Amino acid sequence: MSKTISAAPKKRVRPGRLVLEIGMVLLSLLFLYPLILTVINSFKSFAEVMSDVIALPQSFTFENYTYVWKAVNYPRLFLNNTVITVIGLLGIILFSSIAAYKLSRTNSRMSGVIYMLCIIPMLIPFQSIMLTVLQIAKTLHLSESTWGLGIQYWGFGAPLAIFIYHGFVKGIPREIDESATIDGASGFRLFFSVIFPLLKSVTTTIIIIDVMWIWNDFLLPLLMVNGSPATKTLTLAAYTFVGQYTSDWQYAMTAMVMAVLPSIVVFILLQKYIVRGVVAGAVKG
Amino acid sequence: MFKLGRKRGEKLEFGLFTLPALICIAFAFYVPFMMTVRYSLTKWNGIAKNPTFVGLDNFRQIFSGDANFANAAIFTLKYMILYIVLVNVLAIALALVLDMGLRSTNWLRAAFFVPYILSLVIVGFIWKFIFMQGFESLGDSTGWQVFALSWLGEPGLAFVSILGVSIWQSVGFYMVIYIAGLQAIPGDLKEAATVDGAGPVRRFISVTLPLLAPSITISVFMALTNSIKVFDVILSLTAGGPGGTTYSVAYDIYRDTFQNNLYGYGTAKALILFVAVLLITIVQLTIFKRREVEA
Repeated sequence: MSKTISAAPKKRVRPGRLVLEIGMVLLSLLFLYPLILTVINSFKSFAEVMSDVIALPQSFTFENYTYVWKAVNYPRLFLNNTVITVIGLLGIILFSSIAAYKLSRTNSRMSGVIYMLCIIPMLIPFQSIMLTVLQIAKTLHLSESTWGLGIQYWGFGAPLAIFIYHGFVKGIPREIDESATIDGASGFRLFFSVIFPLLKSVTTTIIIIDVMWIWNDFLLPLLMVNGSPATKTLTLAAYTFVGQYTSDWQYAMTAMVMAVLPSIVVFILLQKYIVRGVVAGAVKG
Repeated sequence: MFKLGRKRGEKLEFGLFTLPALICIAFAFYVPFMMTVRYSLTKWNGIAKNPTFVGLDNFRQIFSGDANFANAAIFTLKYMILYIVLVNVLAIALALVLDMGLRSTNWLRAAFFVPYILSLVIVGFIWKFIFMQGFESLGDSTGWQVFALSWLGEPGLAFVSILGVSIWQSVGFYMVIYIAGLQAIPGDLKEAATVDGAGPVRRFISVTLPLLAPSITISVFMALTNSIKVFDVILSLTAGGPGGTTYSVAYDIYRDTFQNNLYGYGTAKALILFVAVLLITIVQLTIFKRREVEA
């Protein structure tokens, strides 16, 4: 009971604080209202959307969902997004971590120059090179395919990943490398069995920021895989779908909900890690 | 002999570790960049077999009288300045409230952060629906004049809509950076200021704000690099309309290269965007470096 005495001034509900608390919750609901309206309208018929957007649907049916599911071939889109993201991520993590480790451990002029060459591209806006990127992708047969697009992310994601890994490796004592060398591990084995596990926290950060980026990316997929329904991503399909059904808002809203639902579900499940990863990525990057 | 062998081995290992990343980066950035520089000096529609060399003609044309580019540049500049200021002010305000230990803090953080995980193109479409259909119903039920305005149909309002939607999507991101910054400020400093008789406003200006400087640096930098490239949200929200008044520089480049097939001319504009980004980044980094030394 003695604890409550010291904690009392903080715990007492002051009226001002209560008003602030309620005000903020209302503000957050208002902030989310566009998303709430989107979900509500995805369950309505065309006539209902046209007559009143803010009213709740008269009956709760999944008709729009079954229609859009078939029209866009949803499982295919989901698979495409997954393939692109996973391939992209594997290359970024693998190539960037080994490069950053070596560059951080080697104290030569050459190593410094190569490190700069690796991170300077962060300054190049994608729109400045998009035309020639497309031409190169066509030459290398990386366009019009999901795995080809995934491979392209290796280069686009490497500068930031190398930058973040490089900074982190500096904090790992060299004695760890040395004792592993004495134990007979060297080269790739030393890296993968000893160093890589120590990079776990930064690897998580990089995975989070890169998944959010690749999963939602628009311009690069638009240039690379928009030609065929078999290679489209979720965002691209939603974009095309809205173009085709300009006035059928009930379908458009359903397509929106279906496109963002995976991200929302993952966010609800991993909220703490995502926020932490995004902050860490921004502070280090 | 042994030493030479080991040195060679080290070099080989250095190459094996760094080359994969280096090759990927070269093909993603350096090769396209050099090709961009070359194309910017040519006239080409993509259909003719080879680009014709025209020297600096494209640049001369862009700077001497390309109304589209000039308008897009003005639009982007206005957007950048307002976006950077507003998103940071709002994010700091939200972060301060969320740092007060309210019971609903976890919910509030999640709610304000959610739009950031959504694709900007889709955010644009959702808001297009709200502006076009939702506002009509809201206007009918509230009778407020704000909802009767043509938020996507009038040039000035369309600009405000794009700005507002961009801020709505990303304010949560800057907010969490500021929350992390606020949590790093030692509590005894604020207490000391309170003991010295400083009120909440004085405490914020003299203690919190200066100590928040590193977070402000990061956030302004991120807001700058994101806003100068604004594209996705405009594409889905206004598609450059009404009357071509909401084209950003990035969108103008996209229009010239992929819609008008002006490959040489478009890449020249793309190169100008690159130089602008480079200059702004260098200026900003020098300013912040100097300030950090002083601090």
